[in-house]
Amino acid sequence: MSSKRLLTGLVLMALPVIAVYAVKQTEWGPILATPPARQIGNPQAKITIVEYSDFQCPSCAYMQPTVHNFLDMYKGKVRVAYKYFPLTRIHKNAMNSAHAAECAAQQNKFWPYADQLFSTQSKWEALADPTTSFMAIAQSAQLDASLFTACYADPAKLQNIERDMEEGRERQINATPTFFVGDVRLVGGVFATDGARTIEQELRK
Amino acid sequence: MTSKQWTVNSKNMQPSPTEHGALSAVHLIARLIVGGVLLYAGYMKAVGPLAEFAGSIEGYKILPPAMITPLSQVIPWIEMWVGLFILTGYYTRLAAGAATFMFLTFIGALGSALFRHLNLHSCGCFGYDSLSPRYTILGDIVLLALSLKLFFKLYKHPRWDLDSWLNRL
Repeated sequence: MSSKRLLTGLVLMALPVIAVYAVKQTEWGPILATPPARQIGNPQAKITIVEYSDFQCPSCAYMQPTVHNFLDMYKGKVRVAYKYFPLTRIHKNAMNSAHAAECAAQQNKFWPYADQLFSTQSKWEALADPTTSFMAIAQSAQLDASLFTACYADPAKLQNIERDMEEGRERQINATPTFFVGDVRLVGGVFATDGARTIEQELRK
Repeated sequence: MTSKQWTVNSKNMQPSPTEHGALSAVHLIARLIVGGVLLYAGYMKAVGPLAEFAGSIEGYKILPPAMITPLSQVIPWIEMWVGLFILTGYYTRLAAGAATFMFLTFIGALGSALFRHLNLHSCGCFGYDSLSPRYTILGDIVLLALSLKLFFKLYKHPRWDLDSWLNRL
């Protein structure tokens, strides 16, 4: 290979590196405090796992038992904070379900409600109006029905969801579920495969 | 294939200036499409969080977990380099061979996901805003055909490529 050819190759290989690092975002906006109602686990835990999730996303539902497994495995050492990130472009009931979960959070029953939303996802995801299903879950999670109904009818309650979505966008979140274990981003099923190792690494810090 | 072989394959006829221009244009268009798509695909993945691409790879449920993160960090760069080599016509045949291997792998992975009815909402090909696997596999088949065309180099005198330019120096 001639030196001109080699030099040309090196220049070609350097061009994408320069182009990528010129625009690549390496720091993201802060993770804002999550209301206590949307946190589970030891409030004083060393590790906070932040989950950006969508109740209508099948991978999110699939990953929810893993979240609870890690809470059990690292009892007292981790807590999970839930952030709404409904993918409204592809999931028609994503925003409605987040709204319903936010109404459960107002009554401090976010986690039992969220778990049931995920476990019954196939029953309400295709419905034109899933209100009846959400009411049934509210009843099952022992929520105050009149408070829940009033909250679900109030569009002002969507503000918390929109705030989380904005925060997620600033952190370049595009897919759900996205987890942050400390500063480490784990997307989708990688949370199940690499989550334990990442938690242990963070615990050793 | 040499120009002599071209003559044999064409029943002892040299291409006319019109044919010459048409073949050259087809070769150039194939390079622009294959190289451009690979360069764009790699760039979109590399500028986004690589963890998202790792999540996409994991969704195919093919590779062992230990391979997912390293591969998610390497594939975007390979796509960009192979794409840029094809686009600029630098070691075109070698790069087209690499592209052929990559498209065969992508088609295999997508076909396997469709066969197993995996719920992939995105193929992960272009970072976040990707196509559904069903559409992507069709696109990959077209790209594979173009890569094969470049690899077998049915036309000997391409235009606007670094290989010819470097040979003349």
